[in-house]
Amino acid sequence: MASRRRMLLKVIILGDSGVGKTSLMNQYVNRKFSNQYKATIGADFLTKEVQFEDRLFTLQIWDTAGQERFQSLGVAFYRGADCCVLVYDVNVMKSFDNLNNWREEFLIQASPSDPENFPFVVLGNKTDVDGGNSRVVSEKKAKAWCASKGNIPYFETSAKEGFNVEAAFECIAKNALKNEPQEEDYLPDTIDVGGGQQQRSSGCEC
Amino acid sequence: MSTSSSSPSSDEELIFNPNPIPKPIDDELTLASLTLTESNGNGSVGESDRYGGAGVVLEAEREGEREGPSSPSSSGYAGERGSSSEGTSNSRIGDEDDDGIQEVINDHDGFVDGVGDSSPSASWVPGKRHVDEDDASISWRKRKKHFFILSHSGKPIYSRYGDEHKLAGFSATLQAIISFVENGKDRIKLVRAGKHQVVFLIKGPIYLVCISCTEEPYESLRGQLELLYGQMILILTKSINRCFEKNPKFDMTPLLGGTDVVFSSLIHSFNWNPATFLHAYTCLPLAYATRQAAGAVLQDVADSGVLFALLMCKCKVVSLVGAQKASLHPDDMLLLSNFVMSSESFRTSESFSPICLPRYNPTAFLYAYVHYFDADTYLMLLTTSSDAFYHLKDCRVCFILIQRNNNLAFDVTNKGSSCVATVVRYHSCFQPLDPANTTVQLWIQWLVATVVLLRSNVLSEVQRSMLEGGMRVEDLPVDPLPRSSMPHRLSQQRILTQSPEIFSESIVGIGGPTGLWHFIYRSIYLDQYVSSDFSPPISSPQQQKRLYRAYQKLYCSMHDKGIGPHKTQFRRDENYVLLCWVTQDFELYAAFDPLADKAVAIKTCNRVCQWVKDVENEIFLQGASPFSW
Repeated sequence: MASRRRMLLKVIILGDSGVGKTSLMNQYVNRKFSNQYKATIGADFLTKEVQFEDRLFTLQIWDTAGQERFQSLGVAFYRGADCCVLVYDVNVMKSFDNLNNWREEFLIQASPSDPENFPFVVLGNKTDVDGGNSRVVSEKKAKAWCASKGNIPYFETSAKEGFNVEAAFECIAKNALKNEPQEEDYLPDTIDVGGGQQQRSSGCEC
Repeated sequence: MSTSSSSPSSDEELIFNPNPIPKPIDDELTLASLTLTESNGNGSVGESDRYGGAGVVLEAEREGEREGPSSPSSSGYAGERGSSSEGTSNSRIGDEDDDGIQEVINDHDGFVDGVGDSSPSASWVPGKRHVDEDDASISWRKRKKHFFILSHSGKPIYSRYGDEHKLAGFSATLQAIISFVENGKDRIKLVRAGKHQVVFLIKGPIYLVCISCTEEPYESLRGQLELLYGQMILILTKSINRCFEKNPKFDMTPLLGGTDVVFSSLIHSFNWNPATFLHAYTCLPLAYATRQAAGAVLQDVADSGVLFALLMCKCKVVSLVGAQKASLHPDDMLLLSNFVMSSESFRTSESFSPICLPRYNPTAFLYAYVHYFDADTYLMLLTTSSDAFYHLKDCRVCFILIQRNNNLAFDVTNKGSSCVATVVRYHSCFQPLDPANTTVQLWIQWLVATVVLLRSNVLSEVQRSMLEGGMRVEDLPVDPLPRSSMPHRLSQQRILTQSPEIFSESIVGIGGPTGLWHFIYRSIYLDQYVSSDFSPPISSPQQQKRLYRAYQKLYCSMHDKGIGPHKTQFRRDENYVLLCWVTQDFELYAAFDPLADKAVAIKTCNRVCQWVKDVENEIFLQGASPFSW
């Protein structure tokens, strides 16, 4: 079959502002980190090619702005996503509490055909801060939430240290591969002249 | 949508600046007046040297642009991409009116063969080039005309330059722009940014975008995107919409596998084929009797259940017949001949391929049978019968047998039952064949048509016409010709003139009489046009392309619904005098020496029209046209 072909995966990254979405992406794609915070405006787009189990993937990463005023970008943004990455800051309880909102919002906007099994990945970021002393969300708590939402894979990451970032994104590719739709035969109709309902288009259909 | 944010303050800067574009454009375009800006540290608009990430490149091109961030304080990841462009950083923008950058002109846009043949020459390399480029490459950014097709989820489907997957981020940016405007219950049509125009065309789940600094009118670029969409529909039908409805993630690139060459050849034809903006087709000049003979053969085939039968030479029609009530739109003919000519497999073997005629019925397939008689001449039969495909091989074997067996009384001049019986008899050697079966009938008719054409003088006449070329401005009759009938007047006149080589030499810089350089005559009733062959001083591909672009502009301004319709236009600039004349029956586009006198030019146009009338039986397909139904 056509399984050898390259696959393009649309990956949406969501989470409160300041949890490190852009830094994670920057670490993953460019292996770079900056302490300076600059808010994403609307969305950033990055491309990363990865090889996984002998297959070549292109990750089209949609890094969105966390601020509420950008949420109007809405529906079309999420359309046709292959995977959604939810990010929170392990040092900020609110960012964890909001995961539920982000997840629900995504499912409403993207309206995937099978919402129960849509591939999410949850990342608990900034595990490096203060040597872990300022941490307020325990791994156990995060994992429990993930389990309750249909066993979402969970990773603790540090964009700064580059910890677990690669593994998290590999999981995204793995997930997408699992969800790859069956190839269907493409069989459009043939014009039926004899049937009398032959369409005769006289002009442009636009 | 920051493409490269670089300072905390840039947080406040809106990327979509809803300021109206500085120069107002005709109202009827209902422009979404968007100015795309890039955020940089200073918050200034459009000054940044860093396109960054997958930002839309809308800046006017700058000579000697250097890669790399201009703002050293940047911590953004965006500007740090683009290592792939190092090898091309020396490229310069060509001053030539060309789609490519200068360094690629040679392998890219040398096109017209010259007199008598306005199709791509061997110097144009088909297929996609510069696949290594992406949006971070300087060379990619400097290309003068980009075409993109993407899905409504932002997944790339086609890009003229560069690898689609590498352009995934850029593709996402385009989708983001489109959906941002959509979100405001509006539709984006055009963005102007410096010299660049970004033209959007939204066709359900398919988005088409052209980014161009060629100064072609918006309507032309939009028309080109329409054709590009039509070409995709020709390959896949509109049924792809259903795939996207079922699954927004749908990736249609595998379905388009191997068709890069079809799209790139279409895009290339925007430069040299006037049919792409005239929405008319052109015929190969032929004696009336020869074209009638070809038409008669095609009519026989059409009567046996073929929807359309076309005999073509490159992109010129020799003859064409449609079943009753079926009409073929010139755009469909353009897309079909482009598809056939650009796909190498049609040349090397007889092929049967599903195709869709977007103007005829965009939702369903027809089946095209293509047979090449020589390198340029091919027969196309469009049927609705898919099972005909399975009989093809048998019929082919049968045909070869008949050709080999000279003892066989294969009376092709008498295309009646004896012929059918012969084929059936031979075919039965392999397997039983029911002569009453419509598919069998069809293929027998096809065999007959092929043999008749091969034995007639049609194909040799086609070859001759190819060599002789068409109407040449130098041959414009000085006085109206006597109205007596002159068979194949085009070639007869050729004999009267000097040999082309000497002739061309002697008139360089002069053109035809009274400074006429070139003309296109479009018959509105026939949906056909005739274009004079190129002769000096319009001799280089660059000059020819520039002239076509000038015609294109003229066409757009004459057909502008807001200020038109116009009847005549006389325009003089440093390159030409252009004269356009539109009546109920025809449109005439003529180019003269820039010093040409207005009164003389008008008089010359009258003579051109008379000339066209005098030879209309040879340059147009008369009567047999399906448009007369």
